[in-house]
Amino acid sequence: MKLCKDTKKDLIRIFETKGIGLEGNILKIIDTTEDPNFHNYIESCKNKDNENRKKRLEITKQIQAKNKELETINEEKEVIMEQLKESLSEVEKAKEIAINDLDVLQKKKQTELIGSIVKIALGVIISVGIVTTFMYVISLIINKDTQMIGSTWANTLGILLTNAFSIIGTIMGVKYSSNNNKE
Amino acid sequence: MIESLMLIDDEDLFHLVFEDACSLLDISLSLKTLKSSDEAARLFEEWHKFGTDGKPECVFVDLNLIGSSFDGIELIRKINFEFGNHVVIGIISSSNEPEEQSKALQAGAQFWIIKSDEIEPRLEEFKKDYSGYKSRTNPFKVYK
Repeated sequence: MKLCKDTKKDLIRIFETKGIGLEGNILKIIDTTEDPNFHNYIESCKNKDNENRKKRLEITKQIQAKNKELETINEEKEVIMEQLKESLSEVEKAKEIAINDLDVLQKKKQTELIGSIVKIALGVIISVGIVTTFMYVISLIINKDTQMIGSTWANTLGILLTNAFSIIGTIMGVKYSSNNNKE
Repeated sequence: MIESLMLIDDEDLFHLVFEDACSLLDISLSLKTLKSSDEAARLFEEWHKFGTDGKPECVFVDLNLIGSSFDGIELIRKINFEFGNHVVIGIISSSNEPEEQSKALQAGAQFWIIKSDEIEPRLEEFKKDYSGYKSRTNPFKVYK
């Protein structure tokens, strides 16, 4: 591309007075063969343009590198967040299981305790029944006064008869409950 | 020097890097940059149907184009087999997967330039080989 003399003069003047020169690839297609001054002007503009481009390239590369770094950090952060969520979910599941186990254990202990109480109570009643019967029989054999022991024996037998079904029912209930827990 | 270049890459910052590197290395006089393969395909279709005004001499395509309907290899295949060919075309990507390179070769890519912080030496080497790509005598080459 050829420029007229006036344009060349104007361009050189603007460059010298204001420091404003042509930029970019237009510099590569302007013909400067016939005018050494204009050739120098174009060379100066090219050098300035190259310096600016080098600076910009350097800065752009730095920004690119920082962006990549940030991307990597973000990716790592996301992975950590994901792992944290998974860990939290596992902890919650473990907590639920532990609470369930504790509940089952408590119920089992309660059931065992009830079972023991019922057995001991049954043992005591039966023992009292046996002892009272034994004492009543002995009193009858040796012809002693049986009024007191007779009423005691009758009362004990009454209690045994009255509560027998309820005690047996409780035992059956405890056994049924224990079987269910085992399952 | 290459008359006109086209870069299709979804990363804006790389447009600036590529433009400055090409200018500093005197690779090309004019550079057109696009962000999506859809836009590039539309332009090549127009050039194929209505004339080649403004059609670039050489095209650099990124492999993965986020926000586009198809990737760089598919774009190269379209340009070579649907829109009349006649351009030097290749991939510019940070990937160095032999499998992808083989696919690109099948699609008609002539070169594969690996993006990195130092792109200039690879572009300079490409500039030296360019006449061979234009005359279709150079084999597919990966610039590492």
